[in-house]
Amino acid sequence: MRIPSDRDFTSTLRSPAVAARVGVWLGICFGLAFVTGLISHEAYVVHPVIPFPARPTWGYRVTQGLHVLSGTAAIPLLLVKLWTVFPKLFARPPQRLRQLAVDGLERASIAVLVAAAVFQLTTGLLNTTQWYPWGFHFRATHYAVAWVAIGALVLHIAVKLPVIRAALGGDIEDSAQDRPTATIAGPLTRRALVRSALLASGVAVLATAGSTVPALRKVSVLGVRSGGGPAGIPINKSAKAADVVATALSPDYRLVIAYDAHEMSLSRADLERLEQHTVELPIACVEGWSASGHWTGVRVRDLLDLVGAPAGRDLRVESLQPRGPFRATTLPGHFADDPLTLLALRLGGEPLAIDHGYPCRLIAPDRPGVLQTKWVGRLEVIT
Amino acid sequence: MTGTRIALGLLGLAAAAYGALQLLDLGLDNLVATVTWLAGGVLVHDAVVAPLTIALWFVVSRVTGRRLPGAVVVGAVVLGTVTVIAVPVLGRFGARADNPTLLDRNYVLGWAMLATLTVVVTAAVVAASRRGRGGDRGPGPGRR
Repeated sequence: MRIPSDRDFTSTLRSPAVAARVGVWLGICFGLAFVTGLISHEAYVVHPVIPFPARPTWGYRVTQGLHVLSGTAAIPLLLVKLWTVFPKLFARPPQRLRQLAVDGLERASIAVLVAAAVFQLTTGLLNTTQWYPWGFHFRATHYAVAWVAIGALVLHIAVKLPVIRAALGGDIEDSAQDRPTATIAGPLTRRALVRSALLASGVAVLATAGSTVPALRKVSVLGVRSGGGPAGIPINKSAKAADVVATALSPDYRLVIAYDAHEMSLSRADLERLEQHTVELPIACVEGWSASGHWTGVRVRDLLDLVGAPAGRDLRVESLQPRGPFRATTLPGHFADDPLTLLALRLGGEPLAIDHGYPCRLIAPDRPGVLQTKWVGRLEVIT
Repeated sequence: MTGTRIALGLLGLAAAAYGALQLLDLGLDNLVATVTWLAGGVLVHDAVVAPLTIALWFVVSRVTGRRLPGAVVVGAVVLGTVTVIAVPVLGRFGARADNPTLLDRNYVLGWAMLATLTVVVTAAVVAASRRGRGGDRGPGPGRR
């Protein structure tokens, strides 16, 4: 059997007119995922270039929801787009050396673009379901490859700009830019193919968005989380997985608050005797799920006042969990002083479930869920 | 337009190079695992997904022996691509015994509902367009 050539693909559906139109939507999805991804990256960095704002309280919930949904929407678009350009893979290389070099460079850039795009959508999709069948560090690698993907995409647009302009400027059924052998009409029009890709994207979003949009929970049959859990909030890491069950339930539990030489330890009963506040704040995870809860507890600022810590200081928040990359996190000063930032003791009126961080957990506005430290054992003002 | 294209191209190259440097910073083991997955993704698409799609299309068009209605293709695009997205939840690969709030639905049932809905809507559209054509032009040579 011989290797196929691009001339063997005869459908008029495999056309630049389709590729350019699907490409526009794909570009929008990748652009949105890239920008919201950068925002998420900034939220993780302790001291980003621009301090991460504490308002709106639902900011991270929306940007990270958009991040995951735009990536999900891109999957059908990418598959259809790759289908339309598949013949290009079998195009015979040009004979002349100079043209061969240009062709080779373009192919290399396309290979990088396709590899990075498939990588980002695959690893992102798997991460939403907490499935990690790989040996690389997810967050750092997904961030690095995002730059490769967006860079290769911008380069691809630069290379293809004349084709894109001609395709978008003409009628979608116009065959001016088609390969010479693409002459057999498909079972549907090109317009219908583009619309079916968009329809598939829409269905994909509706089928998964319930993890972050409560109104869609019943519709999202493929949603990773249906919103169930203690006090109506799902869990990312259980107390058992974090290996804190015994220490968190121990009667000897004390919260230690430290500032310079001042140190204070409080039992959970002591914390309950301090002034309680109730705030409505979302838990919004990097995996794209989120849920809003009514948290009751002590303002972190009130606790800092107990040891005489001045305003504006960063706070090191340590969990009782013995290990894990987020065992200790840094809460920037403007979050620590925020009146909405609590050391929560209760959720939805009930005492905090152990999987939600009993005896107490941090809850602050507009932060990624993994930085909302659970099973807090120590608050230390960084001096 | 040439100036815009060169500027865009350089911008793209710079961003991609920045990403590549970030990747190198993560160490050799991380790089090897990443490159394996980068190449693997292209290979799975170009050597498995794309040929299978073509083969499936070939078989379906041979078996039915005539041109399929466009609505069937639309239905296939929707169901096919959404099924790819459903693979991680259908396999429940990330499920953990200690966390019942993760992957907490019957995904096989959900997917079956989605597939049924797609088939029913597709069939309804095909039936409606056949009836429409039958009323306009009558059966026979006028049909595709």
